[in-house]
Amino acid sequence: MNCPLESGGNAGHLLDYAAGKLKAEARAQMERHIAGCPACRAFAGGQQAVWRALDAWEPAAVSMDFDRRLYARIDQQASWWTRLTRPLDPLFRHALPIGAAAGVVLVAGLLMNRPAAIAVAPVEESAQVETLQPEQVEHALDDIEMLRELNQMVPDHAAPKM
Amino acid sequence: MDERVNTDMGGLAATLDFDAELMLRVKDGDGASFAVLLEKHRLPVIHFLYRMVQNQAVAEELAQEVFLRVYRSRESYQPTAKFTTWLFRIATHLALNSLRDGKNRRLEQPLEDDSAETPVRQVPDQRPSVEQTMVHQARLDEIRRAVAMLPEKQRAAVLMHKYQEMEYSQIAKVLNCSESAIKSLLFRAYETLRARLAHLA
Repeated sequence: MNCPLESGGNAGHLLDYAAGKLKAEARAQMERHIAGCPACRAFAGGQQAVWRALDAWEPAAVSMDFDRRLYARIDQQASWWTRLTRPLDPLFRHALPIGAAAGVVLVAGLLMNRPAAIAVAPVEESAQVETLQPEQVEHALDDIEMLRELNQMVPDHAAPKM
Repeated sequence: MDERVNTDMGGLAATLDFDAELMLRVKDGDGASFAVLLEKHRLPVIHFLYRMVQNQAVAEELAQEVFLRVYRSRESYQPTAKFTTWLFRIATHLALNSLRDGKNRRLEQPLEDDSAETPVRQVPDQRPSVEQTMVHQARLDEIRRAVAMLPEKQRAAVLMHKYQEMEYSQIAKVLNCSESAIKSLLFRAYETLRARLAHLA
């Protein structure tokens, strides 16, 4: 194999070898190369030391309330409508399809009964006629008579020419 | 990370990792799937951010922002890459911004501050002597300084390679580089660390 340090093409292999990530066949091939290459041997040895040193670096413990704080922030950013309707979510989830189906049935029923509803309308007109009083008729006739008399008093030449 | 589920999406057969499948459920309004994702990735994300910024409080604050962004992006989420690639891209972006903004003055902070919070279990002996503890602490401080002095991109690559055990191709996607560029970048980073930490061997 080409020397990883000279060619650079197998640099990843050399890093993986030092990290113990190579599979058996590739590892054996790298070990054969390292046996005859002091530069790669030195690099791999130093790299393994770095790897062990980094292993010693453990992170600090995470706060116990990390999740609680996160969910509080998520909740804070939710819209007022989402917060308001959240308790009703399960209800909406199940009731919405049923409500939609009921609505469709209701609209269909109304459309089928529409002609009957129109037939009822003329009844209201006859009710208006019944409320006309005899005195009102008499007044109307008197008014007509008075207008006729006025017309007779006006001379013919005063009438507008059409 | 190897768990994979076959999913048929709109007639196109796509192979998704299990996390992406969970995220699609979050998109459909399943809050429990978000809780599973949080439980699974909380520590890796916080630990990565902690090693990047070297300040526990800042790391946790950034991790909160990472998961908040994941949650907020659920409506527009498309499983075009591995979920962890997307997750660490967000985390890396926030960490680099934080470092550039200088929000955390890590180098001004005494390194002992954070290490005081580390669990005692990291010291192998049951009752280490004061001298052993001091030597161990000095070694840790040197390691942390060596990592902190790496250029930001090299640091992110080393942390993802060493602690998250990511493949070169995935690190390349997170950092938006070619795979060969990442190998070269890692090679340089490890050489730098080797030179700085050689005396610890």
